[in-house]
Amino acid sequence: MNEVNINTATPLLCSFPYLFRKYLFFSRQMLPSSTVLSLAGAGTVVMVAFSGELGNLETKCSSRPRKIFSRSCIKELPLQQHTINGFKSKKRNSVSSFALGKETEDNFFSDVNEDTDDMYDDLINKYGKVVFSRKDKKPASAEIDDDAESLSFAVELATVASEVKAADIKVLFVKPLVYWTRFFIIVTAFSRPQIDAIGSRMRDQAEKKYGKFPTGDTKPNSWTLLDFGDVVVHIFLPPQRAFYNLEEFYGNATPVELPFENQPPFRS
Amino acid sequence: MIQPQTHLNVADNSGARKLMCIRILGASNRRYAYIGDIVVAVIKQAVPNTNLERSEVIRAVIVRTCKQLKRSNGIIIQYDDNAAVVIDQEGNPKGTRIFCAIARELRQLNFTKIVSLAPEVL
Repeated sequence: MNEVNINTATPLLCSFPYLFRKYLFFSRQMLPSSTVLSLAGAGTVVMVAFSGELGNLETKCSSRPRKIFSRSCIKELPLQQHTINGFKSKKRNSVSSFALGKETEDNFFSDVNEDTDDMYDDLINKYGKVVFSRKDKKPASAEIDDDAESLSFAVELATVASEVKAADIKVLFVKPLVYWTRFFIIVTAFSRPQIDAIGSRMRDQAEKKYGKFPTGDTKPNSWTLLDFGDVVVHIFLPPQRAFYNLEEFYGNATPVELPFENQPPFRS
Repeated sequence: MIQPQTHLNVADNSGARKLMCIRILGASNRRYAYIGDIVVAVIKQAVPNTNLERSEVIRAVIVRTCKQLKRSNGIIIQYDDNAAVVIDQEGNPKGTRIFCAIARELRQLNFTKIVSLAPEVL
């Protein structure tokens, strides 16, 4: 167990709270009895040492150690970061005394903002290692292939909808937002017969070309939904489209460009 | 385990606040409803100045139950209360947003509309 001199390890210095959080995580998950944090990439072992003031505080408030300790840490934390060069020489506590439980961990760094979180994520990517990964995970290439296939299917369905004069066709890539599907197609139709026409054309095309069968509504409805698994089609009447406002709900999804949008309007 | 006379919370912004189940649809003499079942309910309490009023009879889909929902892979989902989403006769939700994490079993039961309005799917 070699101790890193914090004066020389400047990147580690700034990442101190995060490392500590990660350490707590690891210690609960896999190293319950160990008192060190090991970083795989760097091969270094950091022993986190705290100032004597904190140690005193903890012993003073030993009747309710969790709450008071966590509060005091939030106060002390910026100060520690500034004077961190000096604290190595001060009195040292055992690290395990700080791993008090989940509450402490959550309260402890609640004031760490987003920017520093990103930085810590980078550091963990650089030096951390994967402890556990699921075995049934597909390789990235297979995912991309599936995405491409679903995309072509979605664009095909959108083209079918535009042939039946559906208005305001939007194809949204919602996979980053929800896990249960990949693409949303949102279209407006102006009457129930038109909804029926769009729905049946889409069903026929999917069955003929891709061999997929939708679940969802079979009769035309003011909000007709066709669920093809990876692609979910919503056909609305104009008032329902405004009422449910699905585009706003999925506002963070990336819209997909459609081939027929850029074509000049047909003139006879 | 929802049966007639069970009081339910409302998990959407339709305007109803409390429901009471009065009938379970699906089979005659059915005893209990679970997640994904349609019940007939009466509104016991409603938000003022909305479309739905007290003592109105509506249909609702159960989305949360205190009774645990078991999956074949061993996962158990159990909520702290019983709650439902108000739907109309065609199956469209009366509200526009849903406020709880819901189970993915609803999609298999053809409630994909509710799933697509939900913030999170378990």
